[in-house]
This record gives sequence, C-alpha cells and structure tokens, in this order.
Amino acid sequence: MRKTILFVLVILALLLSACGGKTVEQGKVTLRLWTHTNNAFNAGYDALITAYQNEHPNVTIQRESFDYELYLQTLQTAMPAGEEADILQLFGTWTSQYYERLAPVPANVMTLADAQKLFYAAPIGGYIVDGVLYGFPQEFNCEYGGVLVNKTKFEAAGLAFPPQWQTMDDVLADAQALSKKDDAGMQSVAGFHFTSADPISASFLAGIKQRGGDYWNADHTGFTFNTPEARAQLKWMVDAVDAGVVDPIVFNDSTNFVIDAFFQGKVGIGYIGTWAIAEGRTNFPDFTDEWDYVYLPPIQGAPVFVADSGWGLTVSPNSKHQDVAWDFVKFVTTVPANALKFNIASGTIPAMPEVTKSAEIAEVMLWVAKALDILPNGEYLGNMPDRDLVMYEIIYPHILNALQGVETIDQALEAIDTEANSTFK
Amino acid sequence: MNPGRKREKRSKGGLAIAKSRFVLGVTIPLLLYESLGVFVLGWAFILMFFNYSSGRLGGPILGLGGSNPFVGLGNFIEMVKGTSVEAGLFRISLKNTLIFAFAILPLNLVITLPLAYLLESIGERFKAFYRTIYFLPVLTSSVGVALIWMSMYDPQAGWINAIIRFFGGTPVAWLSDPRAGFMGVSVAMWAVILAYLWQDYGYNMVIFIAALQAIPQELKDAAMIDGATPWQVFTKITLSLIRPTMLFVCVMTMLSSFQVFDIIQVMTNGDPGNQTQVLMLDIYKNAFRYQRLGWAAAESFVLFLIVMGVTLIQMRLLRTDWEY
Repeated sequence: MRKTILFVLVILALLLSACGGKTVEQGKVTLRLWTHTNNAFNAGYDALITAYQNEHPNVTIQRESFDYELYLQTLQTAMPAGEEADILQLFGTWTSQYYERLAPVPANVMTLADAQKLFYAAPIGGYIVDGVLYGFPQEFNCEYGGVLVNKTKFEAAGLAFPPQWQTMDDVLADAQALSKKDDAGMQSVAGFHFTSADPISASFLAGIKQRGGDYWNADHTGFTFNTPEARAQLKWMVDAVDAGVVDPIVFNDSTNFVIDAFFQGKVGIGYIGTWAIAEGRTNFPDFTDEWDYVYLPPIQGAPVFVADSGWGLTVSPNSKHQDVAWDFVKFVTTVPANALKFNIASGTIPAMPEVTKSAEIAEVMLWVAKALDILPNGEYLGNMPDRDLVMYEIIYPHILNALQGVETIDQALEAIDTEANSTFK
Repeated sequence: MNPGRKREKRSKGGLAIAKSRFVLGVTIPLLLYESLGVFVLGWAFILMFFNYSSGRLGGPILGLGGSNPFVGLGNFIEMVKGTSVEAGLFRISLKNTLIFAFAILPLNLVITLPLAYLLESIGERFKAFYRTIYFLPVLTSSVGVALIWMSMYDPQAGWINAIIRFFGGTPVAWLSDPRAGFMGVSVAMWAVILAYLWQDYGYNMVIFIAALQAIPQELKDAAMIDGATPWQVFTKITLSLIRPTMLFVCVMTMLSSFQVFDIIQVMTNGDPGNQTQVLMLDIYKNAFRYQRLGWAAAESFVLFLIVMGVTLIQMRLLRTDWEY
C-alpha cells in the first residue's frame, strides 16, 4: 500500500513538474539573445543579463552578437528556418517587416494601452502592427533636430556660445560665419552639415509636419510628397545650400560623413542623432576642439517631428520558453531602473518619459535633458512597406540631387512621390 | 596452384578494393557537396518566380505562396518595362555594369600586354623583381585597395587633388560629384575603374608573360630573317600565337568585371546618384537590405545569362583550330 502511495506521489510530482515547466522558478532554462555588435549597447545588455540571472538562478541567457550587415543576413536566413534566438534585438521599424515571424506581447506581460502610456509615442509606435504589440523599445531614436556644435570654431568666428538660436535663420547666419573655403575654392569647413542621409530625411519630414502638411494620405495607404509644404521645405534646404552653409558635393553621406567630418574639425554645426556622441568619443579620442550637442529651433510653429522608433527587444514564436523570454524582456525594457542603466551604458535617449526625466539622466546625459521639451512632440514615422528603401534610396538621393543641382525641386518631389508610392505595389 | 600467383592475385584484389574505396571516399563527399550547390541554385531558380521576402511567413511549403506570392515572369517583365524603384535601379545597374566591364577589358589589355612584352624583353635579373612588384596589388584585399584609393581621391586631403592644386587647377570631388563626367561616363565610375584596374592588371600580366615565354624563338628568328620588322613580329607572330591565352584572359577579365562588388561597395556604395551602382551591388542590396530575395534571384539569373552570352561570343570570336 505504501509503495502504491509512493508511486502515485512520484507520478503526481512528475506531472506537476511537467506542467510547471513554464514557470520561471522551476527547471533550468537557457535562452539565447541576439543583438547587433555595438560595444556600448552590449555592455548594457550584459549588465542586465547578470542582474536577471542573479534574480533567477535557474535561467541562463547567452548573448550572441553580429556585425550590423551580418545580423540582417542572419535574421533573414535564420527566421524562415525557425532557427533564430529566443530573444531578438530589433529596430522598431523592422517590426512591420518581420511581425509574421514574431510573438505578440502576451496580455499578462503588458497590454497595448499600458505600453502606450509607459513609452513615448514614437518609439513604441514601431513595435505596433495592425494594433498588435510585438515588443518593447529601449531607446528613442531621435534623428531630428539635434546638432553637434564646435565651440572652438564658434569662438574663433566671434559667435556666441552656446548658441541662442530662436529661428532657423539664426542657425544659417552662424553657419555662414563658420563656413570656410580653401585657396582653390573648395569648401574646407561646412558651417552647417545637414546633407547626410538621416538628417536630410529627418529635417525634410519634420519640415513638412511643422509647416502643417503630412506625407501620408488620409488612410495611410499612400504618400503625398508632392505638396506645397514639401516644396517649401525642399526650397528652404536648397536656399541654405545656395547661401553657402554646406557644399553637398563635398559633404554628404559617402564623402565627409557628418560624424567623421565633425570630429576631424571640418564642420561647425553637424546635424546628427545623439548616437553620434558616443561614436565620436570612441572613434576620435584625439579630437581636441571643445564641442557640445544642442537642439535646433523648429522651421515654424511647434517642434513637431517624426521618428523611426529605436532599438528594442522582441521574442521568437519558436522559443520553447516564451514566458521566461518575455519576463526577461519586461525586466530589461519596462522596469525604469533597468532601462535607465541600459540608456546610460549605451548613451541612448530613453524610450520612457519617466526615465528621461530622472536625475541620473540629467547628471550623466546632459543632451537628453535638453531634449525634454521636444521629445513629446515626436510622432512615429508610420509603418512603411519598405522604410529603408523610402528613406535611403528615394528621399535621400533625390533631395541630394536637388541640393547638388542635378534635379530641380519639382523633379525631385515628383520622383519621390512616384517612387515612394510604387513601394505599396 | 602456384602459391606465388595466389599471393599476387590476392594482393591485386586488395589493391582493387583499396582503389574502389578511395573512389567512393572521394566521390561521395564530392557528390554531396555538388548536390548542395545544385540545391542552392535550384532554390534561387524557384525564388525568381516569386515575390519572396524572408521576413514574411508565406505558404506552408518552404514559405512559397501566400504572402510570398507566385508572380511567374513578373519580375523579368518589371525589369524590362516597370516603373518601380527597383526596376529603375536594375536598369541603371545593368548599364553601369556594362560600362564597367567594357571599359575594363580593353584598358586591361592595353596595359598588361605591352607591359608583359616589355618585361619579357628585359634581363632575367630584373624580371622577377618587376613581376613581383606588378603582382603585389593582386594579392592585396579589395577592401585595402579601396581604402588606399579613397584616401588618394579625398577631395580635401587626397594627393591627386594636392597635385591639381599645386598646378593651379580646380580640385575635383572624384567619388561624390554627380555632375563631373568624361566621355559620357561619370568621373566616379572612372575613379573606381582606375582603382580596379590597378588591383587587377598584375594577374593578366603574369599570364601573358607565361604565354610569351612559350612562343618558340625560332619562329621569330625566321620572320626576322625574312625581313619582318619588330612591330610585324609582334603583330603577326606574337599576337597570333597568344590568341588562346588572349581568349582566356578576355573571358576571365569579363567574368570578374561583371561580378565586381567589394571595391565599389567600399569606395562609393553606388553613389553619387547611383552612377556607380553595379548589378552585384544591386543584387546584394535587394537581397540583404530590402529582403527582396525573389527579385534578387531574378537579377542574378539575368546576370548569369549576360555573362554566359558574352563568354560564348568571346569564345566564338577568339577561337583557334590549330596548335603549335
């Protein structure tokens, strides 16, 4: 009889352990996390992995990193084969391309409404497709409005520092004073370098919004780039080039990229996202000029702008431990103290207003404190059929052509409108 | 039976078994390897008839169908007369690839053949030295070559513009000025052609040297005795006899030119204004940046057809039906 009871108890224990296998506390769980190679980001991940593992000794998280291009290729080959890691670092705008191969966020982890309250609209927007939430952002990728400013050059040109710009005309006036040409007539210092791909796209789209227009049609099924607002914004950019603040032949994405050029002393004001700060410090440790990071005034009206989300974490539907994976993702991305650690380690703007306003951020990341007023004005870019194609193969080349004098403003706008709409086919 | 014969028979049998084991040991892995290659080619062949993206789930069989729909010859029709961005970029890339390949081949021959002839005529002492010097760029990685040339082409700090400035000329943004051109081809394209030529010419030169060394001296001597000038010896004897080598060089140079990728990706990534965007770069961007694997597979097939066609034409034009 005792043997029978013991046998039943063993069977029950086995059954219970099998049923409870999904809980975080029971059983050894090993998860893989894939990220792209970025030392600052990965230092942030490693610290949080250690913290999570200390709280959950039964869980082991193995981080595997890939160079950016290789990461894209790996995702594209591993996901169709179902061989991807349990947790995937994705850029928000990629979600609309991969969502069929991602696990939706379970309601017990967080509802969409709660996520929208917790995060800024722009970063969380990238992780929502057709009203379904697929992950959480870790940063607010803000390409709009921020500029590196060279204090040494400002002072040498007799300009006030920090700059007290009220309008974009003030910016252009300083930029003209900062611009220099060599003896042969080639621009050696760009006063205002805004002619790389991200700044061109960010300022073009923000300019349309600030002028009261939109680049989406009413039901978001097509683009409207050939509008008076778009024309006014592009004309402003062409006029800035004509005023001599930058020569787009010598300063663009492939030649004198804004970060490289700024930290080599070839730029007075360089339009670029905050991610450039960490990169510049790492890659150009010998740069001796004094510099800072400030924000531009809007072209007109409120500083409305669009942003394309930011890096964050998602979970594979093929993971055998989705609950543990989501628990880790929630721990890293939604707990303010942990998100704060990651943002400080990676030098990124927090995706949560609560973290952005923290005293620690104000102390360590001064440029984030300066952005507090503009971040709430950020709207999500919108889920495009092919965001990279629209931004880098359509908007940037045609606007650069207009700035370089290869296309007229009308030709550029017409081409952008036609080609961008063709991506919906 | 003679025990010696028995032993011999047994040892022959052992050798035969060893041989067949060796054949099997070599053949089976080779067949497996080849079948892997065939599978990859087959998969690419299937993909070109689909609007396939690895980001989409698609149908139940290999992800084909569903959200990765079958488009038949749609990709090819779009390439020819489509108005989409990718169709426009394909046509630009094809044009640039043809410009690149048909500029590289004659320029390469004009440099390598005379250089090989000159090297062949100098003393043995210096021959090896110069051959090594000229062959060094071939051994250098394309990325390294690209970086060297990028620094030379730098509009502000590059020494090419420094020389131009020294003589009072106007410096040029070699890799980024879409307005600058020469003979109807953008300066940026000429700039990458020059860098590629520099890296590649040593290879053909060494092949030509080997071909020149194989020509019997008696033939040249006989021609000279008959009153031929050195130019006539070069054109009538040398050029004629190295025709098979010329065919090899032409085919290989064309093949590598049509497949140029790394040096252009590093130097310009297709800029300015897609003026240096070649087919391999376009295929790469479509496959791995924009996830249009179906389109990229169709482009690859077109490139394959072009390369095969050009190779067959070259073989027809330069064929010989004699040996010496």
